[in-house]
Formats: sequence, C-alpha cells, structure tokens
Amino acid sequence: MENEFKASEDWLSSIPLMDDTQAGSLRRILNLAAQLPDDWSGMQGLTTLQEDFGALRFQLAFMSFALGLTHVHHLPAAPGVFKQPFNSLIEKILSPDVWTYWHYISTGNGPFNKSIGKQPGQWDPVIKDNIMYSAYVQSMALLYHYLFQDDKYAAEGALTFSIDPMFWDEGGKHFVYDEKSLNDHLYWSMVERGYLGIACEPNCVFQICNQIPILGFRFHDFVYGGSLADEVTSGYLQAWSEFGVINDSGHFNMMVQEHERQVITPDVLPWTDFWMGSMMHAWNPALVREHYPKFVDKWVTKLPDGSSFVTPAPAAALGLKERGNAHDFGWAAVCASELGDTSLLKGLHEFADEHLQPAWQDGGYYYRRCDQLLTEDGLLRAMDPHTSNALLPYSRLNVTGGLRKLYEEPLQEEHFSQPKLISLEPSLDVLRAKYDSKVQAMVLTLKPTHGMEKNSTVSLEITNVWKRGDWHIQRDHETLALCDSDNISSSTSSAQLKRLDDSVLIEFELTDITTLVLSWK
Amino acid sequence: MEVIKNYSKPPTPVPGMFTLTDHNGNKVDQNSYAGFYRLVFFGFTHCRVICPRNLARLSRILDALGDRIDGIRPLYISVDPERDTPEVMKKFLEINYPHFTGLTGNQEQIDKAKKAFRVFAERKADPEDPGGYAVPHTAITYLMDRNGRYLTHFAENLSEEEVLERLTEQL
Repeated sequence: MENEFKASEDWLSSIPLMDDTQAGSLRRILNLAAQLPDDWSGMQGLTTLQEDFGALRFQLAFMSFALGLTHVHHLPAAPGVFKQPFNSLIEKILSPDVWTYWHYISTGNGPFNKSIGKQPGQWDPVIKDNIMYSAYVQSMALLYHYLFQDDKYAAEGALTFSIDPMFWDEGGKHFVYDEKSLNDHLYWSMVERGYLGIACEPNCVFQICNQIPILGFRFHDFVYGGSLADEVTSGYLQAWSEFGVINDSGHFNMMVQEHERQVITPDVLPWTDFWMGSMMHAWNPALVREHYPKFVDKWVTKLPDGSSFVTPAPAAALGLKERGNAHDFGWAAVCASELGDTSLLKGLHEFADEHLQPAWQDGGYYYRRCDQLLTEDGLLRAMDPHTSNALLPYSRLNVTGGLRKLYEEPLQEEHFSQPKLISLEPSLDVLRAKYDSKVQAMVLTLKPTHGMEKNSTVSLEITNVWKRGDWHIQRDHETLALCDSDNISSSTSSAQLKRLDDSVLIEFELTDITTLVLSWK
Repeated sequence: MEVIKNYSKPPTPVPGMFTLTDHNGNKVDQNSYAGFYRLVFFGFTHCRVICPRNLARLSRILDALGDRIDGIRPLYISVDPERDTPEVMKKFLEINYPHFTGLTGNQEQIDKAKKAFRVFAERKADPEDPGGYAVPHTAITYLMDRNGRYLTHFAENLSEEEVLERLTEQL
C-alpha cells in the first residue's frame, strides 16, 4: 500500500454526515452570530433587564459551547466554519446590552438577599459576584484560544467592558481585563470563598453558575499549563460537603445563601437537575450518572407516541411572574445528549418538532417563540429564544459525553497541524470535515445553504497541505488536481486551484451536495 | 483597584500586606524580610490534618534546596489568633517545623492579612473536639519576592517534586 492513495469508499462511508436538522441547527447559530453588533433579532425573550435564565449572555455562551462541541466532535477539520462566528459571539457578550443589568441587580434587596440590605450599584460586571456573566466571558475567551490557537484575548485590554454614553458620564466607563487577568480574578475569588463558589446575584451562590468557571479553568490549563481545574474541583467538593452537592432526595441542590450559610432548593425546578447534570458531567460524570435516572423519573412526561416533554417549573418558585419558556425542556435535551440517553433525546426532539413551532429561516432550523406555557391538555406549548437558539441546537450537535471529552481529552498538537479548512463562503453548509491520519486523507462534504444561488462559485482555503508528499483532490470521484509536496502538478478545467503559502485555494461551481477528498500517498 | 480617568484595571490578585507579631514577640510587616523570598502558609496550630501535612511537606522541600534556603524566610501565619499566641506558635514550630517563623496578631490584623492573601478561613464547631473548634482554611503556599510582592503560589494538589521544581525556577 506504500505510495498509493488509501482513501477508500468504505473509509468514506464510515465518516458520518450531519443530518438536516443538525446542519440547520448549526446554521441557526451561525446566522445569529453574523448579525450586526447589538442586533438581537430572534434573541429577545419575554423578560426585561436580562434577568432570567434565557438572557442574552446565556444564549451567546451556550451557542459558543455548541460551536466548540460541533467543531471538535463533528467537523474537526473545519475550524474555518467556527472561528469567526465564535469570535463574534465573544464580541457580542462584551456589549453593554448584555451586561449593564448588573448595575441594577448588584444592588440586591431581592428575595434571596434581603438579609444583606441594599448594596451600592456596581458598574464593573466582573469585579464582584455576577459569576453568571463573568464565567461565560472567561470560558468563551479561553475556549476560543484553545480551539483556534488564537491568543487575541490574551492581549492587555482585549476583554474590556466599556460603555460610552452620549448624554451622561462623559468619557464613559471602561473596565480593562484580558483572558488571563479575568481568569486570575475568578480563581482568587474562588480561593477566598473556600472554593464554594462565587455568587451570581449578591448572596446567591448557585451551583450551576460555578460549573462554568471550572470549564474555563480547564481551558486555561490546556492553554497555559497548570492544574487550576483539578484544584478547584477538589476544593469545590470539599466546600459543598457541608451543604450537599446532591440533597437527600437525590437531586442537585440549587444554591447557598452566603450570609445565612443556608441551602435553597425549591423542589419544583427541573433545570436545576438537568443544567447541573449537563455541565458537571464534564468533571464528575460518576455522580451525574448515578442520579440521572431520578431526574428523568421525576421531571419527564413520556407520551404514548414515544415523544417526551418536561413541564416548566412554576416561575413563582423563584419569586418571578409566570412566564412562558421551555428552559427545563431544553436543559433536559442537553443533559440527555451529554449522558447519551438517545431514547429520551429522540423523544424530546420529536415533541419539539411536532408541537413547538419549528421553522426554517435562511437555512437555520429553530422554533418560534410562544409565550403560552401549556396547552389545554397540559402539554408544553411555550418556546423561547434560549431554548430555540442555544439549548436544542446544543442537544442536536453534542455527542455522548461531548462536554466530558472536551474537558478530559485535550486536543493534541497533531490536530492543529493536520490539513484543515480555514476559509469558506459563509453561505456554505459543511456536513462533514475530517482528516484521518491513518488513511492520510481529508474528507469535506459541502452543501449550498438554503437560499444560496444554484451554480454559485465557491472558494475554499485549506491549509497544512504542503510538504506531506504527493496528493490529489477529488470531487465526487472526479480528480480535480494532482499535486506534489510543493506544487500543483496538473488540474482539470472544472476547478481553479492556487497555492497560497501554507494553503491551497480551491474554486469551483457548487450545484448540490459535494464531497471533496484530499488524499496523500 | 487601579483607576486611570475612566479606565479601571482589576486589583492585584495577592497584595500580600500584613502587620503582625512574630513568634519571638517582634512586630513585623511585609517589609520586615526585605532581601529575602518569603514562603507563606496560613494555618493554625490545632489543625490536625492540613497544617501538619503541608508544613512537613514544605520542610522537606526546603531541606532539598540546600544552601538556597538561606535566601528564604518561611512564614506560618495563624488564622486562629485566639489560641495561637506567639508563645504557642514558637513552641509548636520550634519542635516540629523549625524552618518556619510563626506570625500572629489580633483578629483585625489576621483578617487583614487573610484578605491581602485572599485566604479563606472560617471558624466551625469540631465534632472531634467537643467544646473546641476548628478553622478550615486555604491550603495554598505563597511565594513572595524579595520585596514582598506576590510571585506565584503552590496549591496542595501539586506534587512535592513539582513544587520543588517551580520553587527552584523562581529563586
């Protein structure tokens, strides 16, 4: 087999393609990421002031996590699909639209923090408490650095929280951080709280929101070395042993009031179990797996047709007005995807596709917002942007143990030096992108996005292709070009190829689903 | 927090200031060991697990440094000022961990030192010591430079070899 191309039909058919709803879910995220700054079309929920669990920060963060998981598990040879959109999501989460809620929420005096009285309003959104925002910025910036080996957010001031008002506070306010200083700040904030966690709203240390900085610490360890995540998780378990990560009923505790040192866990919140389970599975899978069946038994309604839904938590349990959302449903789907409960995941997706207003827009698959909580028959009716834009896409694009693998199995140097797609038309769907070092071949399957003009010329840039020996490019079994280690030796007229330093530029007309195979001898 | 016009940067993670009394009764602060690196660990002499384990480990690491130990001042700062008087600390350290100098103070001074090193310590009932109490605390070792500024720290999950290697790199 030496000096022969090893990419066979069997090899090709062994590499799965993303299905229509997976591609549509990814496209939905890419479309939202591509919106102009502060255009939140399709992302606005029922509540104001960014207070609820579907606020912009949560949508942006879990869309970015979904991008990261999709890149690593489905399209590892196509960073070009993800890098710019991921960066856009980071830029969006730095917008004052996303974080200035903190000036008001930091004043406290709400249902869970009356005991500490009214606090002075803070502008800096990460300096104290508010881990429900700061950890997402930290983890997104570090995940971006890790996945794309781009240190742009390590530069001083690269994560600056700025407001430049027109008619008040001349000069504005600017809180200057970068991924390292923000990470350090969160780490030391954890240390001085004995690793119990950093509060969200003043006095409120939620377990779930402290899973996110742990992910960020892990990404920091991958980028910079060290073992912050191991240190913090060890301390976290020790600190929570006083209160119980899991309560006597076998469900996750929700939060501790810092001042009172008291646990609060309303017994009516499915998201507490499913959101926690989804995230904690990254570093404590045994505990999550042990209790997961109880979560499903308690919260999931299975229908005779095989579909399933989760009845939303009553908003009054957290002192809120009744609002229609499907967060509990969405987190159940994410948790089922992470735990590999394919039966439940299928049932939840079937329910959503049947009952929760599915729609296609610009190639993106999503669910229209609906504020009505339940049907007259007691079935879930509500849908909200967070569930539609982030949670259900995440659940479709994740793989079993996907977050666990992201956390536990660092990408090796080989991954970054392999051939990969680094640039493409934004309107192109990539259904498959993988390089196999054993076969020495890369497969790319492309599809015109819904609405793209037929017979459009597409342009792809693929890097790390030179200095690897003789190779060729085939499109749907037609050889487009023969290349040696340094040059394009010959090519057909049905594609234009050009060497660009470390990469090759390929242009051709795309009419339908097309598979490219780059194969080395 | 540093504020320049409308720009503010995050605070120094570990300011490292303190005003305390050493186990010989001398008043000391972060400037008292000028010219020496400081290896700082917080704890309390009644501690049954964390302090003995860490002080013993750090003592072995200091021994492994050979002559370079002369450039370091190992400090053990109490989080239990009620019981840890200078005399108690001196007796505890001289017998068990002679490399270390104990530092203590009143509650306010200790609280300020804890804050300056971002240390968590909280007094709790101790089921194994009826009538007594424990003070669970951060088990981080801090390395401060010759001017008393934070250089790095060593968490408890690092191996002895890793701490020695990283400490040697810094000296």
